[in-house]
Amino acid sequence: MEIIIDGKKCEAQYGEYVLNVARRNGIQIPALCHYDALPGQATCRLCIVEVEEGGRKKVVTSCVFPVTGEMQVFTNSEKIQRMRKNIIRLLSARAPNNEFIKKLRQEYGLLPETRFSGDDKENCILCGLCVRACDETGISAISTVNRGIEKKVSTPFDEASEACIGCGACAFVCPTGAIKMLDENGIRHLWNKDFELVRCEKCGEYFATREHIEYMKKKYGEDKCCSFCEKCRKRIAGEKMAASYRK
Amino acid sequence: MELQDFSHVRAILEHYPPERRFLLAILQDIQKHYNYIPRASLEMVRDYLDVPLSKLYSMATFYKALSLKPKGKHVIKVCDGTACHIKSSQVIIDEIKKVLNIVPGTTTGDGKFSLETVNCLGSCAVSPVMVIDDRFYGRVAPSMVRDILAEYGRLENERA
Repeated sequence: MEIIIDGKKCEAQYGEYVLNVARRNGIQIPALCHYDALPGQATCRLCIVEVEEGGRKKVVTSCVFPVTGEMQVFTNSEKIQRMRKNIIRLLSARAPNNEFIKKLRQEYGLLPETRFSGDDKENCILCGLCVRACDETGISAISTVNRGIEKKVSTPFDEASEACIGCGACAFVCPTGAIKMLDENGIRHLWNKDFELVRCEKCGEYFATREHIEYMKKKYGEDKCCSFCEKCRKRIAGEKMAASYRK
Repeated sequence: MELQDFSHVRAILEHYPPERRFLLAILQDIQKHYNYIPRASLEMVRDYLDVPLSKLYSMATFYKALSLKPKGKHVIKVCDGTACHIKSSQVIIDEIKKVLNIVPGTTTGDGKFSLETVNCLGSCAVSPVMVIDDRFYGRVAPSMVRDILAEYGRLENERA
């Protein structure tokens, strides 16, 4: 089916989310909590758009709004601009010094905040993407803790988690860089826990934690994985492909 | 404190099939029996239901009815909903603070009383309202607080 986004005709499939259709067609909608492999958070609210269906207009979060029929989408109407500015101000009140959010403020021409104030050291906007990533990998070492103004993401009892394998998926998906992961001298520091890093058998660079590799071996089989870093894996795959063409 | 006997946790667990949907019911039962959720019991629930510890911790910190720290023998709930608030529930809370020397959300040193504020008990007609364990006290005046609390035993934590 076809939908119209900002006046442009876009091909879409039934059930596809509006955000994905827009991005595929080169229409940018800002979003923080959206990650292609882990869709459907809808917590940052930045991706709001106006949708007109059957003559009625409504504001929806495009990252979870499915295409079900004819519709017209406005991603940057005056109303959306205004609402999005407010959302950015609120996110910025939560994490005032975060670079990503500061950049958004700039993009939307927001003046320095006088009304809201927040914790200068806070970077987390509680979108929950890290928790989702941890759950999807099957580890579930972190979760949201407490509620209301005390809500945060943490490990049980704020201690080094038994379950955590130090894969760093949480830090990788974090849209605001709030999760501190530090690799130094062959040790990875993450969530109050220290992990031993393992070197790639080919290039000798540190590339994963021992716990992570053991987990992968258990999941995918001893021989299937886990001796080489990502770069070397790509190179090996490339060489294999090249060899098969040469034949 | 962790040296307690946790055999009752086992009994609670066996009361339910090992399915995740019974998680909250199990935690409520543990809270009821022990007056809090001991850490060791969380680990037992994890093993029984095969639910990650992080999810259990998340739940135990989310619900106000669940507590990871031991609650007092008697739980005092002072309503601070709109009606009670207007009827000076804050003065009642201050009076309890004075008598027991604790702030809302904490427990007295002797483990006898916990103080909590709640947002409405649905008895606005007799506001300000206070509930201790399962007993209601309506139209509470600050001068009544000391006598009401005395019904629950000697106030050891009393400030000199």
